[in-house]
Parts: sequence; C-alpha cells; structure tokens
Amino acid sequence: MTQIAAASNSLYKWVDERLGLTEIIAFASHKTVPAHKHSFWYYWGGISLFLFLLQCFTGVLLLVYYRPGIDAYESVRQINFVMHFGWLIRSAHSWSANLFIFAIMVHMFSVFLMKAYRKPREFGWFSGLALLAIATVFGFSGYLLPMDELSYFATKVGLQIPTALPWIGTVIANMLRGGTEVTEFTVERFFALHVVVLPAIFLPLLSFHLWLVQRHGNALPPEEELKPAAERKSIPFFPNFFRKDLGMWLISLNVLALLASVFPWALGKPFDPLAPAPAGIHPEWYFMAPFEMLKVLGNWMPGAAGEIAGLLLFSTGIVLWVLIPFYDTTKENGRRARNAHYFGIAAITLLLITTILGYWTI
Amino acid sequence: MNYPFWNIPYLGSSWVIGIIAIFHVMISQFAVGGGFYLLFAERKAMREGRTDWHQQLIKHSKFFLTITGIYGTVSGVGIWFAIGLTHPEATSTLIHNFVFGWAIEWVFFMVELITAAVYYYTWDKIDPKLHLKVGWVYAGASAATLIIINGILTFMLTPGDTWLAVAGTGAEASKFWFAFFNPTYWPSLLLRSAVCISLAGVWALVTSSCIDGDKFPALKSSLVKWSVKWLMAAFVIVPFALIWYLWMVPASQRALLTLGIDTIGAGTFSVVTRIALLIIITSATIVGVAYQLAYKNPIDFNLSTAISILLLALMATAAGEYSREMLRKPYVIGGWMYSNGVRVKYVDAINRNGYLKDSLWVWKDSAGQSSSYSRGEAIFRGECSSCHTLDGYRPIRQLLAGRDRANIASFLKMLHEYKADSPYRRFMPPLSGTAEDVNDLTEYLNYQVNPPATKPQTLAQK
Repeated sequence: MTQIAAASNSLYKWVDERLGLTEIIAFASHKTVPAHKHSFWYYWGGISLFLFLLQCFTGVLLLVYYRPGIDAYESVRQINFVMHFGWLIRSAHSWSANLFIFAIMVHMFSVFLMKAYRKPREFGWFSGLALLAIATVFGFSGYLLPMDELSYFATKVGLQIPTALPWIGTVIANMLRGGTEVTEFTVERFFALHVVVLPAIFLPLLSFHLWLVQRHGNALPPEEELKPAAERKSIPFFPNFFRKDLGMWLISLNVLALLASVFPWALGKPFDPLAPAPAGIHPEWYFMAPFEMLKVLGNWMPGAAGEIAGLLLFSTGIVLWVLIPFYDTTKENGRRARNAHYFGIAAITLLLITTILGYWTI
Repeated sequence: MNYPFWNIPYLGSSWVIGIIAIFHVMISQFAVGGGFYLLFAERKAMREGRTDWHQQLIKHSKFFLTITGIYGTVSGVGIWFAIGLTHPEATSTLIHNFVFGWAIEWVFFMVELITAAVYYYTWDKIDPKLHLKVGWVYAGASAATLIIINGILTFMLTPGDTWLAVAGTGAEASKFWFAFFNPTYWPSLLLRSAVCISLAGVWALVTSSCIDGDKFPALKSSLVKWSVKWLMAAFVIVPFALIWYLWMVPASQRALLTLGIDTIGAGTFSVVTRIALLIIITSATIVGVAYQLAYKNPIDFNLSTAISILLLALMATAAGEYSREMLRKPYVIGGWMYSNGVRVKYVDAINRNGYLKDSLWVWKDSAGQSSSYSRGEAIFRGECSSCHTLDGYRPIRQLLAGRDRANIASFLKMLHEYKADSPYRRFMPPLSGTAEDVNDLTEYLNYQVNPPATKPQTLAQK
C-alpha cells in the first residue's frame, strides 16, 4: 500500500511539475460559490455542459455507422435493430439532445429571474443566448438525419418557413434543401451542418461563455445582494461545489438512462416523397410555442396579416429579451427591475401555455 | 378457469401488482434492514455515551415506525388483494403449498408490528438494556419475514424438480421444504439481505440530512458517515449475489436478459435488457453520490440530495423487481403454470376440449347464444390480458397494427402450434384451445385492429 501511495505521489509530482496541477487546485479552492436557497439553479449550466459532452460522445459513436445520403434510413435502421447496443447510443443521443435544450432553457430562465445578466455579465447573457440558438439548429438539423417519414415531412414544413421572407426567402430555403425539394442532398447538407459547421461555431462560443463564468463567478440574486456581506454564505468551488456538480451530472445521467431504456427512440417508416404527410405532423417541443402562436394569430388574422403580426411579435419579444441587460441595469429593485421580472414570468407562462395548447390541438 | 377476469384497461392488471409491489418492497426491505440499523446505532450510542445520537435515533425510530407500520402494512395487504384478483390460479397454487409458511409469516408480522411500536414508545421509559432487547426481537422478527417470503418468491421462479415431480398430484405440500429451499433461495436471500442493509442506510440518510449541520456538526457528520457505510457494505455483496442468483436461474430464462442487446423491435421482449441495465447504472450512481456528497461532505449534505438518493434507490428497486418478474416468462410458476394462468400439463386437454369449456364469462345474446366475437373476447381476457392491454401496456392494437385478418390468423396459429423454433416460445405461453378458439380470438383481434363499419351483433347488445 505504501509503495502504491509512493508511486502515485511521484506520478502526481511528475505531472505537477509539467502542468502546475497544484496551482490549478489552489486557484479552484480559493474560488467560492454563493450558498443560499436559490443555489439549486446554479447547477443547470453544468448540467447543460454535461449533456453537451454526452452529445459529442454518442454522436461520435453514431458517426461510425451512420451513412448520410441515400443510405441514411437504412444505416439508422441497422443502428436501431442490428448493432449491439446501437439503440442505446441513438436513444441516448436523441434524448440527451432534448434534455440539453431543456437544461439550457432552465439555465436561461433562472439567469433571467436571478438577474444574472446585469453588469458585468452582459456578454455571458449574449453568448448563452447564442448557444441556445445554435442548440436549436443542432436539433433541427439532427432531426432530419434518420430520414424517416416524420423527420422528412417535419423538415419539409420547417423549410417552408424561410420562404415567407421577402426576396431572399426562397433562395435561403433552396440553399438549405440543396434544391427545391427535401432529398438525400438535403440530408448531406444537414449532416455537414450538424457535425462540422455547428460544432465549429459552438465550441469556441462555449469556451468564451465558460471563460466569462470563470472570470465573473456566480451572480447573487437581488435578495442576497441586499444582505450585508457578513451574512452571505459561500462554499469553495473545489472540492465542495465541484463535487455537487458531479453529483448532479450523475443524476442527469440516470434520468437519461431511464428515458433511453423505457422509451427508446423509435424509427418510423422510410420516407416516401409521393405519400401524403402523416396526420398530426408537428415540430419538436422547443419550436411548438412559436408554431402555436403563429397558428392562433393565423386564425385571428387570416392571410399575410397573421404572418406579419407573428413575425413582428417574435422579433419584438426576442429583441426585448436579448437586450434586457441594457434596460434593467440598476442593482436596486426599482420599478424597472420589477417590470423586467414580470416580463420574464409572462414569457415563461406564454411559452408554457402555447406549448401545452400546441400538443393539445395536434 | 372459472375465476372472473380483472380487466384493467391501459395499465393492465399486472401493473397494479407491480406498482403496489415496488412501493411495498422499498418499505418492507427498509423494515428489515432498518431494524438492525436502529439496533446497532442504539448500541453504539450506549457504548460511546453519545446522547446526541440517542435523541436523533428517537426521531429516526418515529419516522421508521410511521413509514413501515402504516405504508408497509397497507401496501403489503394491497399485494394480497391485487394478486388474488389478477392471478387467482397462481395465488391458489401458492396458498395450497405455502399455507403454513404464510401462517408463520403472519405471526412474525404481528411480532414485528408490536415490537416496532413498543420500541418507539418505550425510549427513556424502560431500562436501556431492555429497550435494546426489544430492538433485537424486532430485528429478529423482521428478518424472519424476509427468510419466509423469500422462499415463496423464489419458488415462483424456480420451484425445483422435486416439487415439479409431485405438482398436480395432491401431494405438493409433502415437498414443502424442497419447494421452499429451491435453487434460487440462498442467492436471493443473500441478495435481498444486502439490499435491506443498504436501504436502511438510504432511508437513514433522509432523516440525518435534516440535522442542522451548523448547530450540530459533530452529530451530523458522524451520523451521515455512519449511514453511508451501510450502503457501502451492501454494494460489495450485491454484484456477487446477483451473479450467483442468475447462475441458478435456468439458462433459457436467463437468456431473456440478452434479447434487447441488438434491437428495440416491438414484440421482441427487448425491454427486459433495457430495464436490467438500469439496475447497474442506478446502483453505481447511488454509491457515487452517497460517497461524494454524503460521506466526503457530510455537513453540507441536504434533504434534496437525500431524496435524490432515495429516488434512485426506488428506480433500482423498480428495475430489479421488474426484471425478476420478467425472468419468469413464459411462466408465472416456473415449469408449472404459464403467465396467463394455464397449467402446462392442461394445455393438451384445453387444445382438445376448448379454452371456454367451463367458462362462465362469455357474453351471450338474449337467446343465450354466444358469438365468435364474444368468445374471442373472453379468450383474450383469459389468455392474453395478464400481459397485454388493447391500447396501453404492451398494446395489442399497436403490436398487430398493419396485419389483416389472414395475417393475424397465421400469427395466432404460430402461437398455438408453439413449435420448438418459435421465437415467441422464449417469453410467451402457447395459445391454448381448439381451432375454433383460435378462430374466435382471430375474429376479436381482427375487429380491434381493423374495425369494420358495423359492429358485431353481440357487441351492439352489450
């Protein structure tokens, strides 16, 4: 035992001399994380990161057998029904993609309600929103890759949305499709987007986001900020918070395992471009709210008026959401801060109601 | 075959047992392990003069009494109701063989319940050494309930050749001890004992997480760490006990665990593999989370983390019990009774005389005549509904979707012939009955899968 301890000590020393591990640990030990009744929300950024890492891991394994283009469906069929534990890797990839977007959303709303976008964290807010936007494009592009009936028609409907844009809409849609129809060329384009283009944008942005988190630390919610410094509690980032973070990662892994095992990701029929679209076709859950809002507005204001009203509503909402650090700037909980808070609650309520309504009316 | 069928749409009657049983196992195994936990904790507190432990143990024993005495007993009786209604034939076999076993079990239940109450209400009221003796009586009685019920549960998976040789002769009870100490008895006892010990630790973490770490750091730290040790000890034993247990299960049934390695195809019974995998991941997570968040950081250990560990334990228990139940397929009592309640030795007679020969449960019209549809419905409820529902769990409409009448007929013919190379033979019972029975079931299922424009006459009259 002593020999093993001595060997591991000398190994550590060897690595430490070259990489400076002791300095890193000392730095992490001095860093603290606030401890209060809202601390639970601090874990969601880490959970999002963990799910992204899972995406990379399972995605690389799927790459081994997936064949984009004309063979796309057959290769996914083999993964699901022939390869040993292929279903597990695919289910874990699909479920973790959805959980990933869910975790980012929870992270975003908790950041919003804890007002963690205020000075000096504005860039953290912007980069986080950009990461969410890219994550949804990851979801949209990945959804088509199995090329089954549902993914084909959902993508077909989804790619009609850009055509509503004047002048450039059709050009963009055709560029994404690789023609005027969704075909194997579309799959090849989406595959390139999914595994090369998006990661190439996402990874540097993620590094930037994490660097900002490291630089500014965790933000205090307003009610904690009001307390005198002596009354505020905190715990060391390493090992206390780090240990809890890993615990949350393990729990997330179990939720994922449960979903992948009990509800393995299914594969529909192969797509047939000549067949009519199956009944009840709908977008993924994270696009359901705008889809439903467009539908409701379309019912109220038929024709182009509904589409324009919908586009205006989204654009205004998103701009207000993105620019919140610029008009809710003060530390005190004044009228403006309260209004920003109500705006956040209204946005969450609207998203929830329209998503539920969307599924209810499929 | 004259018992009425308990039809639970969507959920299926087997899940009624499943839900109650999983809930019950979580508590009853705590009742066994928790008794020893209290006993050893009290003894340690006495020996070391830890008055802070003493006060905390009083709180924990109140929690223990409430959980096991109320929810454990109610759910235990609930299982009896549920199995009697869902599987009357299998329950009948168990009662005929284990009536004295169950009588002994109920005596120990009574001792367990009484001593649990005495133990809690006599804290600081009787001599501490006598109080500890009450704890010993409780722990012994609760261990005895496990020792007995384990014999009955394992009998259903592996009744053993000696008992099977006399099964159906009226002399089954003469082989009581052979049936009781069946091939999987000892590995199962070791496995369940280890799980009981670990569950005692898991539940104790719930109460010890509520101690204020700022006010009582020494108490919280020592109790949380001590509780985690109960998990660690058990998780060393569980993997070996599980391997031993599976080794004793017949190879054909053990092979069910591998059906889902390469597919998630509908109707391939692949779900068992997937659920069994959950046992490994959840158990490993419990160890990891308990060690990292409780043992290494006891002062910050809070209720939400303790509840997370409890939920993970519930997940592991559910996965374990589900997998154990599925390992019995295609039987409910290994080699003796199929999962739909048909005795293996009666299949030939049913094939000659018909499944509904003595059945009282067929819809009839005003003239007292049954239709092919109504006979098919009765056969579906009798032979299929213990595992399938129409639209919910293992939904027959979805599993047969896309098949026309001829296709459904040929599928049922395959189940009826039950050839040695049939893939369904590994996990489904044969379809017992005459050619007319098969045709009647085809009629009923075809109506469900491909509904005609007009309803059959007898259905309209219902």
